[in-house]
Amino acid sequence: MENRPALRSALAIYTMLFIGFLYAPFVVLGILSFQSGPEGGPQFPIIEWSTYWYEHIFGLTPPSRVAPLPIGEALVRSMTLAFVTMVTSTVLGTMTAQAFRRRFKGSGFVFYLVVLGMIVPGVLVGLGIALVANDLSIARAWWGTAFVTHVLYTFPFAFLVMLAIFNRFDKSIEEAAWSLGVPPIRTFRKVTFPLIFPGILSSMLFAFTLSYDEFPRTLFAAGADLTLPLAIYGTFSVEIHPNIFAFGVLTTLFSFSLLAVYGVLMAASVRSAKKIAIQEDIE
Amino acid sequence: MTAILEIRNVTKLYGNELALDGLSVGLQANEYISLLGPSGSGKSTLLRIIAGFEKPDAGDIFLEGKSVAGVPAHKRGIGFVSQSFALFPHMSVFDNVAFGLRHREEEPVRDEGEITRRVNDMLDLVGLVDLGDRRISQISGGQKQRVALARTLVADPKIILLDEPLGALDANLRSRMRAELRRIRQQLGITFMHVTGNEQEALAMGDRVAVLDSGRLIQVADPDTVYNRPASARVARFLDCYNMFEGRCEDGERFIAGDTSFPCLANQNAQAGPGFYCVRFDKIRVAPASEAPQPGEVGVRATFITSEYSGPSVMYFFEGQGNKVLEVEYHLSHRQPEEFSLGGEYALLWSPGDALVYA
Repeated sequence: MENRPALRSALAIYTMLFIGFLYAPFVVLGILSFQSGPEGGPQFPIIEWSTYWYEHIFGLTPPSRVAPLPIGEALVRSMTLAFVTMVTSTVLGTMTAQAFRRRFKGSGFVFYLVVLGMIVPGVLVGLGIALVANDLSIARAWWGTAFVTHVLYTFPFAFLVMLAIFNRFDKSIEEAAWSLGVPPIRTFRKVTFPLIFPGILSSMLFAFTLSYDEFPRTLFAAGADLTLPLAIYGTFSVEIHPNIFAFGVLTTLFSFSLLAVYGVLMAASVRSAKKIAIQEDIE
Repeated sequence: MTAILEIRNVTKLYGNELALDGLSVGLQANEYISLLGPSGSGKSTLLRIIAGFEKPDAGDIFLEGKSVAGVPAHKRGIGFVSQSFALFPHMSVFDNVAFGLRHREEEPVRDEGEITRRVNDMLDLVGLVDLGDRRISQISGGQKQRVALARTLVADPKIILLDEPLGALDANLRSRMRAELRRIRQQLGITFMHVTGNEQEALAMGDRVAVLDSGRLIQVADPDTVYNRPASARVARFLDCYNMFEGRCEDGERFIAGDTSFPCLANQNAQAGPGFYCVRFDKIRVAPASEAPQPGEVGVRATFITSEYSGPSVMYFFEGQGNKVLEVEYHLSHRQPEEFSLGGEYALLWSPGDALVYA
């Protein structure tokens, strides 16, 4: 590699382009969120730098022709939904992955059945759930039908993460606990769980973020009370103001802080379990 | 004496592969049995079945006369020390040893004072009393081995299964741990079953040695008998201390291997047919090719290749008929080392009574 400058610079350019495409939209959004208000629109140039739209979100500006973003309740709904989905999917995913540690009859088939949830087009799943709910006279709601579709969607991700963790897990550690007279369930709690905890954190992160900004499935399944992505989309149909950009910046910051918490927890967990169950050094 | 553990006709299949083929053996209380076999002979499978980690496809196991079929691993009271030690990496040395006492289903110890006393006694026994606070990642391989042993011993099992417990240690540590294991065993009086692929370890540790081949036991006897009177040519091969000539026995009197023929004695019970003629490495005398054999000696001619000095003994390697490598061991307490010339022709001589004939 070292003696191929052409390849090196080509890769460097590629990487820079990649990063550019990844972050440019967010940078533009961030800049436009500081547009002056309420007369400033979602386009360049910036008339005057201001934090007007941030104040607007929190209702701190005098009433104007721009209606406040109808997102307060939607935000609470989305957070609640993402949290419950995260817990449910991670528990289910961990249990399913645990089952897959032994090969059982039809395990191949069941594997694809589970993974199907992340492959089938989301709009179709949402529509299907809505139709079925109507046929069965079940009222559609974010905490009901939408919750089910979110679990359907995030569970395979949680499952795959945990499957990868268990693949590298040294079973003989559990066997050692059993042979000391410790029953399997307590062994799971005292030995297995602490060692797979980093995996569980990753799985939770996946499930939460996927559910939090899920759109196509929720569109049909959520019913009358909207989740945050739906509420934001709803505002687009009227007119776009930079308050949405300001809100986007805030939620992104929130996501980053979530990632930071994950990083801290992960580091702590890895530090406490140093080499984890893999004990590669002696095998 | 009654058998504390009896294995009856245990058979285990992996797919179409027969890992254990109707294996039966009994263990007496307070016995140390070593199970010798090459990798793939089913020895680890047998231990895992006894421990309850796997189910046999046929046959049964009796612990103190009672069948353990359907009894889960944590209710068997059988200790298991695996080759990888399988310590709990998220706990300290002390907590590793205390784990069984604290969390076991039957008679868990609630009193922290008693736990501390028992764990420290056990750490003392294995010589780790100062390392209780260390994390598992902070101790050496030999220390891990002792922690694994202490963790199992403290739970007071009836039987301890050792799955190549010394396999991950270097040679020096190995022999120290062997001595330690013997001492611990004498102090505690527990039945041990020790699986190993190392013939020296098997002979050194076992009150009895069980030799396993392709899922069957081919000899179960005390180490002296296994070493000096292997039950079959296969056992002799595992012991890796016999020169083996393949050929056939005729009339029960002569064994023909290639162009050479060796006399068979009446007490060697050789039957006519194909078989092996085996001479232990250290029963062979090397003489110049010109020297006439002493009366009652037989031998073959071979070319000297190389030698290997190992302290108390020296191994000489010769090439005999058909490029067959023949080994001669001189124990230096009995014999003087000799200088042989590279590529020189020598006579390898032994007394016919020292040979073993399997035909």
